[in-house]
Amino acid sequence: MGRMTLPVVLATALAPAAAGTAGAVQRGSWTMPANDYASTRYSDLREITPANAPRLRPVWTFSTGVLGGHEGQPLVVDNTMYVVTPYPNVLYAFDLTREGYPLKWKYRPPVDPNALGIACCDAINRGAFYASGKIVYNLLDGHTVAIAAATGKELWRTRIADLSEGETTPVAPLVVKDRVIVGASGGEFGIHGWLKGLDLETGRIVWTAYNIGPDSEVLARPGVFKPFYDRGEELALRSWPPDVWRAGGAPVWGWMSYDADLDLLYYGTGNPAPYNPEQRAGDNKWTASVLARRPEDGALVWAYQFTPHDSWDYDGVAEMILTDVVIGGRRRKALVHFDKNGFAYTLDRVTGEVLVAQPFVDVNWAKRVDLATGRPVIDSTKLTGASRGNIKDICPTLEGGKTPAAPAAYSPRTGLFYLATNNMCMDYQATRVTRIAGTPFIGANTPYHPGPGGKMGGFIAWDAAAGRSVWQTPEPYPVWSGALVTGGDVAFYGTLDGWFKAVDARTGKALWRFKVGSGVVGNPISYAGPDGRQYVAVYAGIGGDWFLLSGDVRSDDPADVRPPADFMPDIARHTSQGGIVWIFGL
Amino acid sequence: MDLRPVVAVVALVACGGHQEGARPAPGLEERVLAGGVAPSAGTTDIAAANPFKGDRPSAAEGERTFAAMNCDGCHGGGAVGFVGPSLRDGRWRYGGSDGQIYQSIFAGRPRGMPAYGGLLPAGAIWRLVTYLQSLEPPPNLPTESWR
Repeated sequence: MGRMTLPVVLATALAPAAAGTAGAVQRGSWTMPANDYASTRYSDLREITPANAPRLRPVWTFSTGVLGGHEGQPLVVDNTMYVVTPYPNVLYAFDLTREGYPLKWKYRPPVDPNALGIACCDAINRGAFYASGKIVYNLLDGHTVAIAAATGKELWRTRIADLSEGETTPVAPLVVKDRVIVGASGGEFGIHGWLKGLDLETGRIVWTAYNIGPDSEVLARPGVFKPFYDRGEELALRSWPPDVWRAGGAPVWGWMSYDADLDLLYYGTGNPAPYNPEQRAGDNKWTASVLARRPEDGALVWAYQFTPHDSWDYDGVAEMILTDVVIGGRRRKALVHFDKNGFAYTLDRVTGEVLVAQPFVDVNWAKRVDLATGRPVIDSTKLTGASRGNIKDICPTLEGGKTPAAPAAYSPRTGLFYLATNNMCMDYQATRVTRIAGTPFIGANTPYHPGPGGKMGGFIAWDAAAGRSVWQTPEPYPVWSGALVTGGDVAFYGTLDGWFKAVDARTGKALWRFKVGSGVVGNPISYAGPDGRQYVAVYAGIGGDWFLLSGDVRSDDPADVRPPADFMPDIARHTSQGGIVWIFGL
Repeated sequence: MDLRPVVAVVALVACGGHQEGARPAPGLEERVLAGGVAPSAGTTDIAAANPFKGDRPSAAEGERTFAAMNCDGCHGGGAVGFVGPSLRDGRWRYGGSDGQIYQSIFAGRPRGMPAYGGLLPAGAIWRLVTYLQSLEPPPNLPTESWR
């Protein structure tokens, strides 16, 4: 553990409700997936400290009755906790003012069960957004719903995606003023990826912006769209073979951020389809990219591609954390992003210029990122393709050096970013594949093995100005939980083997842990209860990619019995499936 | 692996025999249609016997179709299970008779298994059945043997 040096990162001035969407909510609420538009997952509550964290205890639990992977996070608004389950996407509202937190209501939507077979990676949901008295979230089968927060009444329900084309919708919406921003998964089904803006009051689709294809559909307009590194028109068309972009992927399944001062919405796009890169020559813009758009009309303002011509399934959909960073003596409006490809990027969020790009895990597919061009300097021996055979030992795996499913946190007090990491490498045998609508469009076999040292995960603190970690805590298994950091300088995360942990945000020292009944793939939150006390909540419930990769953690389907994952043969010794909401306090 | 013969079959069938947008046969309205092509009416009796049962060349052809039709994308390489269930554990959600497995491929199943009856002729489906039936379930599924 290195000496703690406070990096030259200044506290962000972005207040959680800067755009006024949430209206007046009491302090200590958690109204949106990352707690604020800057996606910091920082709670300024400070009752829980490194000194008293060892006394944390569970104060309440609730079985959701659902076994799918419990990604995402609850919301707490007006002394009510809102929980969205994985498919079938039940929405629970718990009354935190009453003994035992009984249900106020629950909303059980109709959801097409075919979504179970079109969702690539378990029937997960990444959470809801509270805005103007509404709980807004996506159903897995391609619908967005708005539910009255007080009563559970459905206000509107809009079909946004098409299952028959391979689109599903586990993403959490972002609401900016009167726009509900949504996207679709389906990078494994050859979708034509998009972002949509809906009207918050009616659910009407106001605009659709494709991530790939002609400028007219990408909403890249002359004079408005100014990427930092690219020039010319039709970039997202000319960087593809003719028509291949029509099934080229670029899904939106991660997290979105918003800067009210710049009026820019930021989000990442997923992998190009298929995984066999030889079927799609070119950079494949704007897959594996970050895009900045105007929320009102969807106009594209800038874009930057993390992994051009992605050959490793390195989706770029991880959270974009908006903070100010001082680099070379200049204070920059920055965007910090921990990509699946293993690099941590600090970008200028006004322009899309890369300021810092350094690996945060072992990376061997690229040597570095060239800051003059913004492009990775690729190790050509790690390039994949059906004609290249089985390419061995690529680090990180397509699960990511950090999974986008597990968003990082940022503390303005320490100036550090906190994140779960994976230390795994893969072999990659690409194969030629034919797109058949409604079926997978993948074209690669990619077995994993533990990375250097053998510990498959970790939890680290990162300095985004210097581009280096400040401390690291190894974990035996990949870590698939989001991070939370608090005003008391305590950071929280969970592990696949079912521990929920608190560590000192300044040193990484372990403070407390509790076995929560199932592996954690959700994201902890913190809120102030009606009694004014600080609480921490998290879901237990292993799943997501682990539903696929370690199918032996299941016991719910007598017609589906699987051997253990060869790279992680004993995880089922420590966990099985189960969906539980936990609340901890002092 | 050379997939061309199978892909050629798909192209032929997709272009030839069926009208896109044709009304799905009764019972198929709520299924995902592979390639957007509805199976024509006339489903096989679930008591039907696999005409290729135990035939190794048919199983090998079925294995190629398993990859070419993207079955491995959901059920995993070797049908060990991925987002879709294992098809080699000797256990079947919708019945494991020859005709029931055929039905699952032809008409799909309600939790996202697409109906392939609009893309694949009966012989190709039976060869897929033959391939799946050729997969030996492990004698003792190692759910409790930690390494």
